[in-house]
Amino acid sequence: MSGVKLEKIVKAYGRLEVVHGIDLEVKEKEFVVLVGPSGCGKSTTLRMIAGLEEISAGDISIDGRVVNRVAPKDRDVAMVFQNYALYPHLSVFENIAFGLRIRKESKGHIEKTVKEASDILGLTPYLDRKPAELSGGQRQRVAMGRAIVRRPKVFLFDEPLSNLDAKLRTQMRAEIKQLHRRLGATSVYVTHDQVEAMTLADRIVVMNDGNIEQIGSPMELFMNPANTFVAGFIGSPPMNQLQGNIEKVSSGLQVRINDTVIDLPNNTNVEDGQSVVLGIRPEHISLSNNEGTSAMSISLNLVETLGSEALLHAKFGEQDMIVKAETNGQIDHLSEISTVYAPTDLVKVFDAKSGLVLSEPFSQGSNT
Amino acid sequence: MAVGMNLYSRGDKLFALATSVLIGLFTVATFYPFIYIAAVSFSGGFAAAAGKVVLTPVDSTLAAYKYILTQPKFWISYGNTFIYTIGGTIMSLLIIIPGAYALSRPQLMGRRFWNLFVAFTLWFNAGLIPFFLNMRDLNLLDSYFGIIIGFAVNAFNLILLRNFFESLPQSFQEAARMDGANDFQILWKVYIPLSKPAIATITLFCIVSRWNGFFWAMVLLQSEEKIPLQVFLRHTIAFLSDDHEFTATLSSQPYSAESVTAAIIVCSIIPVLIVYPFIQKYFEKGILLGGVKE
Amino acid sequence: MSSGQDEKPESGVTEYDSKKSFKDKLIWLGDHFRNEWQLYVMLAPTIIWFLVFLYKPMYGLQIAFKDYSIFRGVAASPWVGWEHFHTLFSNDQFIRAFWNTIKISALNLLFGFPAPILLALMFNEILHVTYKRVAQTIVYLPHFISTVIIAGIVTTAFSPTAGVVNTIMGWFGLDSIYFLTRPEWFRPIFVGTGIWQEAGFGSIVFLAAIAGVNPSLYESAVVDGASRWQMMWKITLPCILPTIIIMLIIRIGNIMEVSFEMIILLYQPATYITADVVNTWVYRQGLESGQYDIAAAAGLFNAVVAFVLVMVANTLSRRYVRTSLW
Repeated sequence: MSGVKLEKIVKAYGRLEVVHGIDLEVKEKEFVVLVGPSGCGKSTTLRMIAGLEEISAGDISIDGRVVNRVAPKDRDVAMVFQNYALYPHLSVFENIAFGLRIRKESKGHIEKTVKEASDILGLTPYLDRKPAELSGGQRQRVAMGRAIVRRPKVFLFDEPLSNLDAKLRTQMRAEIKQLHRRLGATSVYVTHDQVEAMTLADRIVVMNDGNIEQIGSPMELFMNPANTFVAGFIGSPPMNQLQGNIEKVSSGLQVRINDTVIDLPNNTNVEDGQSVVLGIRPEHISLSNNEGTSAMSISLNLVETLGSEALLHAKFGEQDMIVKAETNGQIDHLSEISTVYAPTDLVKVFDAKSGLVLSEPFSQGSNT
Repeated sequence: MAVGMNLYSRGDKLFALATSVLIGLFTVATFYPFIYIAAVSFSGGFAAAAGKVVLTPVDSTLAAYKYILTQPKFWISYGNTFIYTIGGTIMSLLIIIPGAYALSRPQLMGRRFWNLFVAFTLWFNAGLIPFFLNMRDLNLLDSYFGIIIGFAVNAFNLILLRNFFESLPQSFQEAARMDGANDFQILWKVYIPLSKPAIATITLFCIVSRWNGFFWAMVLLQSEEKIPLQVFLRHTIAFLSDDHEFTATLSSQPYSAESVTAAIIVCSIIPVLIVYPFIQKYFEKGILLGGVKE
Repeated sequence: MSSGQDEKPESGVTEYDSKKSFKDKLIWLGDHFRNEWQLYVMLAPTIIWFLVFLYKPMYGLQIAFKDYSIFRGVAASPWVGWEHFHTLFSNDQFIRAFWNTIKISALNLLFGFPAPILLALMFNEILHVTYKRVAQTIVYLPHFISTVIIAGIVTTAFSPTAGVVNTIMGWFGLDSIYFLTRPEWFRPIFVGTGIWQEAGFGSIVFLAAIAGVNPSLYESAVVDGASRWQMMWKITLPCILPTIIIMLIIRIGNIMEVSFEMIILLYQPATYITADVVNTWVYRQGLESGQYDIAAAAGLFNAVVAFVLVMVANTLSRRYVRTSLW
């Protein structure tokens, strides 16, 4: 099985430690996305898997074999680089064939393999062109073609879409996903864009400051962020985070924020008076007073219209919050809103000090 | 400039005109000596010696060229210059290109030390005498090989190329490395093709310095049949101005010391003028590649 | 899962290096050379060349402190301490050569340094593209012409009977001057030749700096109604000032480097008084008269002064322009 396993991986440059002993197991055929802000160590981690960076401590195994001391070329991995690293002096064909030529594959084999790859990627009409004559999306495909023809055990992607414009990025995202379905290769993908992570990943690894904050499926991360960092990173716009204090009352648990109290699910692990951060996703807040919700008075600053939805930028007491509301083609009524409702079973509570989640995980399936 | 012509006021146009005139004057002043020398070379011996030539040949004749082109020594030295230029440039590239590549690689152990090792020679030079004695101790006096190897590496060119290699995106070599290429393959198949402008620039610098090289060839070479054109030119100029016998025969000859000197100068500039238009686009970029930094 | 943000180790971050045992390091070294040996093969010719042709002569510099004889060689010649330096500093010719070096360099700096800047500023104002290209092509050309040829041109042009300079002076009724035998004319001719040869080529650096100026600065100046003259003073010049300072510092660092090859070709015993510089003196003493040890001592003195100047220049550059020159 061609999985990748990282055990207590550390990367230090002299005195500066940038990856602090992370553990991660990527299963065979799995598409894992490492996501995090820039400088979080995600690219370094990917480059350590590739063999482009030495490992300061820990073990990396590919396909059950420890590869710490194995040269990149012998690890049987292929990488798609952020800037594609296409050789400007070589044609598309020669770029894709480069690795095969270096490995002294037979002419027939090279022709056949490049042909297959270019068919898959829709590059066949462009094989004689130079990279400079291609569009951004086509270059991106050539970079993938170069990885595909090697038939590696593991594909590594280092922010491959960050040089494309927004529209192309959406399109290439879908293509990468389809390609992965088709080839079924184990893939590790690095990005700083949480949307890319959500759409592509079987599992997402959220990294911050050289540590792994959380590993989970996209929906797990969205519904059950392990801490305020993940809550703030995953989702767009991110989860609202409001400072408050726990009050235990006869009817159950509440968070008091200024004069407002918001009901919590009863199974939240909190103590009376504890300082907490209340997390509410903008899309979970409703405009109508349904059962099981707590009313919040807000003062609206700005309505941002996105089309089918609108973002309401508001102040809740002294704190900022964002509400995502459906427009149904109308936005006039939104500017009148002064009260919104937080659904009790969807709010999350985090410890104010550690940032760790205190709510029980929201079980999948009970929500649509 | 991104600013269109129509945006220029009258004062601006006057200013532009004034600078154009000044530049024109400087350009003419730069070019005039070449015209003058060419005119002297085609002038009759008496006119050249008496200072009659200012802009165009006086008493036009090819006599000076006939004299110089029938000198076997001229052709030998011309051939030698080609040997030193081609051999020296190839030798330089063979050493500098791999060296610059190695120095540009982060993997190289002691990289800082080696770079300092190279750069130090730019700051401190042992000087003429120890260099000369060293060449003598190495038995490289009066030898073709001595000239070719002794001046093969120029620290400035090496640093220039190293800087260029360092400026290439790391991902080029990383991608090649992951594809299984070794350093020789990366250099040959990726770095050299990607660095054509930089390599062209240092090739140009090598060729020019070899073609023009004079001082050490004069010092190190004793045999007449090994000297390059520049040294021959030097000898000839010195010989023509000092040799009274030659001067005495002048009255009977259609050439003079001045016209012969001018003719050799023209013969030696012509190759430079032929290559110059092709190299111009490179050195303008190349001089900036040098970007004085470590 | 979450390992928290607050347990980032502050101390002991180097432990991954220091914890490695000697054996681990050897293994690492073995791996390194197994994977990267080609780099060292590529580097070897360069290193060997530098050792043989630049560092070995530095070892040979010890003859500056020895009574050197060709037959005994560098190592076996007896030490004489600072004797050669005492001789040097009591030698009027050497002292004169030293001051001539400084004076010629200073003149070069004073007249030769601003020339390419002026040229670049003027090129920047020329509107006609073809005119500009042609002019640039011509003014860059002399840089590629050899010293011997330039000296030949100068000798011919300034010749007393045949030279065009005297011919033209004759038109104005001036007496003919044998320029190259007149000490007072040597430096103007030398510095002028240097400007003629290098000002055009030197302007490339400044033209590049000008090209690097953000065009929107000019656009907003145009909107504000600035004239080209004002823009040159208020935008172009301040923007290329760092380049000017760097180039100036480099020039100061190279004060001891006078183009002595040109001097050898142009000077005569009659003009030694203004023309003789350290390197030409070294050349005559060492390579023509065979007094290698004294000549080497003079060369060493020159090199040490040059080294100090370069170091000072580099420090200045680091401090004021925040760029190291090397």
